[in-house]
Order: sequence, then C-alpha cells, then structure tokens
Amino acid sequence: MSADRKASAAAKLPGISAEAATLAARLPSLTLAARRVAESVMHGVHGRRRAGPGETFWQFRPFVSGEPAARIDWRRSARETRAFVREREWEATQTLWLWIDRSKSMRFSSALAPCQKLDRAIVLALALAELAVRGGERVGLLGLTRPMATRGVVERFAEVLAAAEREPGEPLPTAARLPARSKVVLIGDLLSPADDIARAFAALGGDSSQGHLVAIADPVEETFPFAGHTEFLELAGPRRLRAPRAENLRERYLSRWDAHREALRAAAAQRGWDVLAHRTDQSAATALLALSARLEQGG
Amino acid sequence: MFGLPLDFAAPAALVALLGLVALYWLLRVTPPRPREEKFPPLRLLLSLTEKDATPAKTPWPLLALRLVFAACVVLAMAGPLWNVVKNAAGGRGALLIVLDDGWAAAPTWGRRIEAAREAARDATDSGRLVALVPVSRGGEEVSPLDADGFARMLDALAPRPYAPERAAALPAIRSFLARDAQAEILWVADGLELGGAGAFAAQLKALAVGRNVQVAADAETPLAISGVDSATGALSATLTRADAHAAEGGRLRALDSQGRSLGEAEFAFGAGLAATAKFEMPIELRNDIARLSLDGEAAAGANWLIDERWRRRRVAVLSGASADLSEPLLSPNYYLARALQPFAEIRRPEPGAVDPLASLIAEKPSAIVLADMSVAPGPQHDALDAYLRGGGVLIRFAGSRLAAGDDDLTPTTLRRGGRTLGGAFSWETPKHIAPFEAPSPFVGLPAPDEVTVTRQVLAEPEPGLVDKTWARLADGTPLVTAERRGKGLIVLFHVTADTTWSNLPISGLFVDMLQRIVARANAAPGAVAAGAAVLPPRQTLDGYGALGTPPNDAEPILESFDGPGEAKHPPGFYGAAESLRAVNALAVGQKLALADYAGLPRRAGGLETSPPVDLKPWLLLIAVFGFLADTLASLWLARPRGFARAAALGLALLAVAAPSPRAQAQISDPEAALETHIGYVASGDRDVDETTRLGLVRLGEVLALRTSAHVAAPVALEPARDELAFYPLIYWPIVASRPQPSAAAVQRIAAYMKNGGTVVFDTRDALDVRPGGAPTAEGMWLRNLLAGVDTPELEPVPRDHVVTKTFYLLDHIVGRTDMGETWIEALPPRDPNDHVSRPARAGDSVSPIVITSNDLAGAWAADERGAPLHPLTPGSPRQREFAYRSGVNLVMYALTGNYKADQVHAKDLLERLSH
Repeated sequence: MSADRKASAAAKLPGISAEAATLAARLPSLTLAARRVAESVMHGVHGRRRAGPGETFWQFRPFVSGEPAARIDWRRSARETRAFVREREWEATQTLWLWIDRSKSMRFSSALAPCQKLDRAIVLALALAELAVRGGERVGLLGLTRPMATRGVVERFAEVLAAAEREPGEPLPTAARLPARSKVVLIGDLLSPADDIARAFAALGGDSSQGHLVAIADPVEETFPFAGHTEFLELAGPRRLRAPRAENLRERYLSRWDAHREALRAAAAQRGWDVLAHRTDQSAATALLALSARLEQGG
Repeated sequence: MFGLPLDFAAPAALVALLGLVALYWLLRVTPPRPREEKFPPLRLLLSLTEKDATPAKTPWPLLALRLVFAACVVLAMAGPLWNVVKNAAGGRGALLIVLDDGWAAAPTWGRRIEAAREAARDATDSGRLVALVPVSRGGEEVSPLDADGFARMLDALAPRPYAPERAAALPAIRSFLARDAQAEILWVADGLELGGAGAFAAQLKALAVGRNVQVAADAETPLAISGVDSATGALSATLTRADAHAAEGGRLRALDSQGRSLGEAEFAFGAGLAATAKFEMPIELRNDIARLSLDGEAAAGANWLIDERWRRRRVAVLSGASADLSEPLLSPNYYLARALQPFAEIRRPEPGAVDPLASLIAEKPSAIVLADMSVAPGPQHDALDAYLRGGGVLIRFAGSRLAAGDDDLTPTTLRRGGRTLGGAFSWETPKHIAPFEAPSPFVGLPAPDEVTVTRQVLAEPEPGLVDKTWARLADGTPLVTAERRGKGLIVLFHVTADTTWSNLPISGLFVDMLQRIVARANAAPGAVAAGAAVLPPRQTLDGYGALGTPPNDAEPILESFDGPGEAKHPPGFYGAAESLRAVNALAVGQKLALADYAGLPRRAGGLETSPPVDLKPWLLLIAVFGFLADTLASLWLARPRGFARAAALGLALLAVAAPSPRAQAQISDPEAALETHIGYVASGDRDVDETTRLGLVRLGEVLALRTSAHVAAPVALEPARDELAFYPLIYWPIVASRPQPSAAAVQRIAAYMKNGGTVVFDTRDALDVRPGGAPTAEGMWLRNLLAGVDTPELEPVPRDHVVTKTFYLLDHIVGRTDMGETWIEALPPRDPNDHVSRPARAGDSVSPIVITSNDLAGAWAADERGAPLHPLTPGSPRQREFAYRSGVNLVMYALTGNYKADQVHAKDLLERLSH
C-alpha cells in the first residue's frame, strides 16, 4: 500500500490514528494550542501585566544570633556593619496547582469530538499555567512538579507530561497533598462514583484552599446518540454491556448522567469548590475564559 | 415447468424450500452481531439495572439476502436444467430422420449431427424409436433403432465428398413408412438443390400424406468452386453460390501438391451468384498449383483439384513462312497465337535466331506448333524427333511447303499434291466437317456447319489410317490425323493455320481443338504420358475437403471419365503419380441452386439446437457470493470502522487463495544469489541424484580445505523452472532412462551457456564406450539434448589446456574411471608465429560445456564420516585424490576462467613494466 493511501486511510479513521499517536507526539501541537488559547484569553480579560520583580525575594532581616551562619547574605551584609539574612516569603504568594486526570478513560474521543478528552485537558491546563505565570503567579503540576514561575512553563510542563505518559495516572488525585491556602484546578472526566470523589477531595488536604473542577465530557457521553444492537465496552477495564436496543437506554442514562453531575457538584460544594462542565466539542477558549474569570474572582 | 423451459434433475430436493420458512423465523429473531462502542461512562450504564430483553430484529435486506442464498442452495441441489424443450411433435410412431450427408452438409456438419441427436433424444425420451437414413446410403434397408444404436450410427457418419442422389433413399423410406403407420419424418436438409432436393421433397410429400414431416434446414448454404480457367496471365477460378444473400465474398487459396500455400486471391460475389478469383503468378508457380481451396469452408465442394488439364502449357509456334510483318493478318502465326492465347503461353523464336527450332526446343515447351514448315533431315530433325520421343507434342499444319517437302514427322504418309474443293477447276463444293467419333479426343465438340474446307493435303490410304484420324470431312477424308511417336504425339491438321485453305482457323472450333490437343500434352515433356485407360484412385477428398487415402469402395475411373465425383468415384486424384487426373465435386460450370422443399413444413429454428444448461454451478456461485456479501454486511453493521479492515482482509485472503506459481519458484532465488553454489540438474533417478549431491558436498569441503573458494551447499536445479544465472557451474549427470527435458528447459540451458555459464555433462559411461562402436544410450541421450543447443566445436582436453592448470597440474580429468575422454570447447589454433613455449593455453572465455564420461560425482561422493561411497576403476590409491583434484580444477576453471593462462605471462609483464 502506498504512503498516500495509508495517510488517507488514517484520515478517514481518526480513532485509529489518534490512538496510534502517542501523547508525546501530540504534545507540541497541544502546547501551541495552549499558547494560542492563553493569548486570546489574556487579551480578552486581563489586558495588563503586573509589574514588580522578585517574587522569590521578600526581605532582608538582621541576623539573629543562634541562626546558622550559612543563612547570612554576605553581599548585603558587606554594605553595613550588621549581618543580614535574606528571607523568601514564598508561602505568602499564591500558588496555582494543576492536576490532570491522565487515566485511560480520558484517552477517548468519539466520532463527534474533535479530540480526546485528555488532549483538551492538557490544553486547558497548559493555557492556564501560561496565564498564571504571566500574571505573576506560580504554577505546579500536582504530584509531578514543584511550583514554578518560569517563562517556559508550558514547555516544562509538556516535558513532564510526556515523561509521565508511561504510567497512566489515577482517575482521581490520591497521591498528592495540597499545601494550605493554595488554589487548585482539577481537570478530568470525573466519572468515578461521587463518594470516591468526595473522599479523594477530602484526602487532598490543603485547608481553605480554593478549588475548581473542570469536568470534561465527550459529546457522546452527554448525548448518548446510540441506537440498535450495541455492545458498550469500558476503556480501562474488562466490563461490557450488551444493549439489544441502545435507544431504549437513552432516557435513563441521561437522567443518570445528570444525577452523577449533581453528586459531583455536591461533593465539590463540601469543600467550597465549584464545577465547570466542559465538552470537547466546545471551544477550549470558552472554558479557559470561564476558568480564569473564576480564578480572578477568587483572588 | 411453470411454462418455463426449466426442469429439475432431483425435484424431491425442492421440499427443502419449506425449510426456508423456518429459516425466516430463525433469522428474524437472531440479532446481527452487535456494534461495539467504547464508552467511558460504562459504569453509569451498568447501574441501570433492568435489561431490555427483546433483541433487535435482523434488518430486512439482510434477511432477504440470507433467504435468497439459502433458496439458491436448495434449488442448486435440485439440479435445475434450463432449456429442456420438448419438441412439439409429440407423435406415437417412430421418428425417421433423413440426413443429407453430401459435401454441402460438411461446413455445418456438427450442427446437423446435433440437430439429429436432439430430435432423436426427444423421441427416445418419450419412448419412441428412431431411424436414420443418410441419403448417401439410401439403398440400404432402414430399421428402427433405440437411443444407443442411433447414437452409434450417428457417430459413425461423416459427410461424403460428392452430392448423393436423394431419390435413392425413397424406396427405403417408403418401406419404412409402410411398416409404421404413425412414423414421422424429419429431414435434415443441406439447403441445396444439388442431388435432386426438389424432386425428393415432392416425392416425400406424396409418400407421407397425413404424417408429420418436417424439414430442418439452415439459412446458410455453402459456396463452391465450379471451375478453373487457365486464362492468359492468370489462373481464374469460378465460384458459385446458391443464395444471393449468402456470404459476400471470401478468399481462395492456392495449394501445391504438398498442401503448401502458393497464393491467395480475394473474390466478391456482389449481387450475383457467381464470382471469380484470379491468381496472378508466374507460370512455373502456377503450374505447381494442385488444388484451390476456399478459406473458412470445410467442404469437398469448396476445393478444386487441378491436374494437367488446367495447367497452362507453353506452346512454341514456328512458321515456315518468312516473317512478313507487313501483313500480320495473313500470317498463320497470327491465327495460332489468337487461338492459343486463352489457354497457353506462346513462345516465338527470337527474331534473328540462327536455329529457331533448336532454341524453342531448349525452352521445353509442352507442344510445338509448326505451321506449314517441312523439317529437313539433319540436326533439326533429330532434335525434333528426340523431343517427340521424350513426350513432346508436335502440331503441324499443312501448307504449300509441307506438301512440297518430304519428312517423316507426319502421322501418316501424305499424298503429293493437295486437293482443292470448290475452286474454279473443281466441281465439288467446299466440304464440311463430319461429327467427331469415339476414339477422337474431339468427341463432344460441335461440328459447326459454317466451317468449310476448300483445300487440303490428302493422306495416303493405308491400314490404320482410320485409327489415326481424329477429325474428318463429311466425305470421310481425314482432316486431322495423329500418331504417337515414342512417348510423344504428332498431330497434323491437313489444312493451313491461316484462312487460305479453310475457314477453320477463324472458327471457335479451332480454339477448342487446339485446347484439347494441348491438354494432352504434358506440362513438362519428359514425363510419361498416361496410356492406361483405367485410372485407379490415388488420393481422394473427404466430405470436409481434406485429401486422404481413397476409401475402399472407390473405383478406378476410365480415362474418358469426365464428370463430377460420385459415390463410386469420389472427388480426388486418379491415375499414376506423374500424370494425375483430377475429379472434382462439381462439374465444370455447375451452378448451385437453393432447394425447393415443395411446401414441406420447415422446422422452426432450423438447425438451431439448444442443449440444456445446468444451472447448478451458477446458483451455487450466487449463493457463495451472497454469503460473502452477507458476511461483509454483518461486519459493517457490527463495526463500521472495522469494516474496511475486514474487507481488506477478505480481499487479501482472496488474493492469497490464488498464489502464482511464479512467486513460489522464485523463493529460493535470493538465497541462491547470496552465496556461490554449484548447481546440479536432478535427473530424477534417486540414487544418481543422491550420489551427485553427496559428491558435490564433499567437493565443496575439499575446496574449502585446500583453496580459498568457499562454495555453499549444492542446489538441485530444474532447468525449466529455476533461474540458472546464479550458478557458475552446473553439473549434469546423465541418466539415459529419464525423459528428455522440455524444449523450454533446453532453451534455458542454451541461454545459460551463451551467457557464460559452464555445464559439465557427465555421461558416466566410460566403461561402456567402445572405440568406434555404437554410441551408448547416455551418449545418444546427450546428443538429443544438445541437438537444440548451439554447441561450440569440442576437442578432447589438450595437455596444455588451462583447465588442467587452474589449481593442480593434471594430466586429465579423472572420476570413478580414468579412461574416459573429457571434451571441452576447442581452443583457437596455436598461433604459428608464436614460438614462445607456453605451459597453458586458454580461449577468450570459459568453455560453456564440458563433457566427461568418468562419473566425477561418483568418485567424490562420501558419507557423513567421509568414507567414499563408490569404488573406483581401476582403483589405484591416488585415483580418488586425482578425482578431487579434477573437481577442484573444474570449479576453479569455472570461477577464474583463463586467469591461470594469463598468470604464466606474469614474469614477462613484470619485466616489461620495469623498463
């Protein structure tokens, strides 16, 4: 088969090609998309840049005897007779923690969706990171990186994500602990049982932190456009369901879906977090705009 | 069945169609394979506990498709036959089939036989008897036959080369009808009036009043050749047809006596019933034509056999009168030329020839015409006499010079002085010609009244004059006399060739007479003129127009036989080989006419037969395709995405199902190309092949041990199939009992040798060869093989040949035997100017062929422990070593060519380079 025909076959079968390409291969385009989305949002809402150097430096204070001599900032001390200690007030700055659900169920796109849920999550996360860094805040990937405020944060995150691709993550943030009073944005399809989600949120710690959930869904998951004799397969597990007439399931499934979302909101509300629903056939910029507005609002 | 021409061989199987109803319900409730969908929130779905138990119904197109192909299978099993037509004539009595089997039936013979067979099958299927009357065997009693007897009789029939008289069959038909009151008649007619079709039809109608009589005839009627005219400059054939709507034209082919094509001529009928085809070719070639044959029509009537009568003769004309060009119309030459022109090539002496008669005789004419010229004794006379005795024909005309002269080259003694009739001094009126009588060759020619003779020379009355006379005047005086002289013939016209003595030369009779005389002349004098009155058949045409040995019942013809072929005298060549007489299927000038069936009903469809078509394979094919379509459709319903892959897979499977043999044959090629292999041709004899293989394996080990040549395992080759180009050396042990390889294989071997390969043929027969004795079986086998190969000149390996020097210094090639000779391509002869003593000589290239008889592989062969397999003859201890050395040298020779021969010059070359 010639190369052209292969390519055209792949073009006709987006599911196959999307599965074939690894996340690492897609990341460059995702970072580009993230930057583009971030640009549009910045110009739309912020339109300004906060000045001021030294996010890390806070103040020099006089050396108190008993402290380790290594803390003395000798350059500052040399100008005066006293010794000074350079203090970093980093706990005081806002840190935005991002978490992306990288489980298998995120690697799904139906014929109705332009991309996988995971891709959209990454685009949102990276764009958010870019926005935050430009806004003078620090951003970290929960469980993967420490907070950073470097300009190339998008690329750094992309590298980290690519490196972490080998082990698909958990559907819920379990391993990490949130620092107190931080902002956190959790992006995922959040299909786990509402109880598990609530438990996971509680386990995250980070008292009085401000959180936002982005529940990404494939259009298929929200509309259930199936009919006829259909067998539904799980992405992550071996379970399957054979529905002789899928169309008969639609009503009940949609109400079940709404119930699940409701439970999700309830679980989030327990911690004072809010939920933003996003569908992959919608524009990523819309979601980002809403998200950044909420972040601004929350201070 | 159901008004359709459809019948079933096993109608009981149709009961299975009832099963389709059950199948319908079954298929209806069996859902198609579900479509698979990945769905991440499956957990949510699973929590919806209650299940929908009603399965989806099979889509109706799929259901219909499955029912259709199930029905196809059932119908196929019932053995459906299409086109089983029962003939309308459903009588009770026997069916009498009258079959025209003249040559006119030959072109469509197969269809005629089929038509008869089908009619008979219809009759016998309904329990009736059948009788068959081929019209050529009309005289025989007709008896009813059963199906087998009829088939045997029909199979034995072949068209006859003549047109049998149909009337001969009437008595037999009459008696048959008398015996069976309900008998019906089917006449498979050839469509031509030839053989009395019209009268026969009328008689048949009268015979079969109240019975069912049908004529099965074709719209097509054959073309035929009805004569050949050897006109000036061209041989023209007349063609005839019966139907003005038949084939427009065609092509006539001229064949010589061996059946080789000499030329072709087109003809076109236009709107008429006759056409002419002209062959324009040199006279020598034209005289070689033995037969004209109509392209594309296999019938005796479409062939015209040509014998001496239609050959164009060369006739020399010489007149005693001085060449008077000022009054050409008064010259006898003029009348002779005009009369001879239509059928003969006229030769006149060169103007100013010293001895015109001698020069004309040298041209070997068929006949020499001497107009009023006497031949004086002397060389001229002798030459003419010799010509006559050699079979020439001399035609003389009287005149003043002949009357005055005195020579013996006349059929009869002439009386001095002529006789004048109707002149001023005569009271007799000019005489007319009497009708020709039996021994004369002019019998049958009209004796027109307007021909008068006013003057003639008279023959001396003598015994035998009556027998010599071919034509006489009304009062009985001889006008034309003839006498055999040796093998030749002298014919004397007792009048002049011009109009001074009679007006015969300006009558049509003159032309006819000359033509008959010239026709008696041999095309080339020297051949024996047939004197036998009875000519036995030599070669006869069969109904299809093929020449072959005469049938047993063919009888000889009389020399006077002049008519179309008939049952006793089938068309063909009669008489001695050197003077064949042709009898043709048609008479000269015969016309063909369409048959008039006297209102007998024609069978609808003519000869068209429609054998029943077995629909079983087609139905099964439809079922298979339906099954495939169903499978693909089910796949598509289940997984639209996977469908393309599955379809591609199916197509790939189909492609794999028909693997090309070529692809298999080439599998080993890349391996063969990667290493150096010695090939050997597997003879097919297991022992020999195993010995060869082991021998070559051992030789490979020896090569690896002693030389830098590494050869991989030997490869058994099939020359017709394998690519030979990868093998520098092919060893071919010859087993005489094996069949020769195919011509294609020999061709590939030849190409391999041409392209630089070396084949070592081992006849392994050194012990059987006797010097000067008959070649051995192996030797003959090899000769046959090499007959198709361009083999170079061979010589026994000379002592200084490079093959004896390539690695070891050898005296000769040794194998299991050491006395056999080894042959190799002959080296170019030693340069006589080259006085340098050379230890080795070589040609420009490696010899493509080495033939040995010493069984090399037999000496090399060893088992896995290295122990030799075969004893040696005479078996000196060093012989096996020398056998290995021979092998090493041969391989080295094939690999390095003449390198060693060049190597001996190395010293000289280095010396030259140093200066």
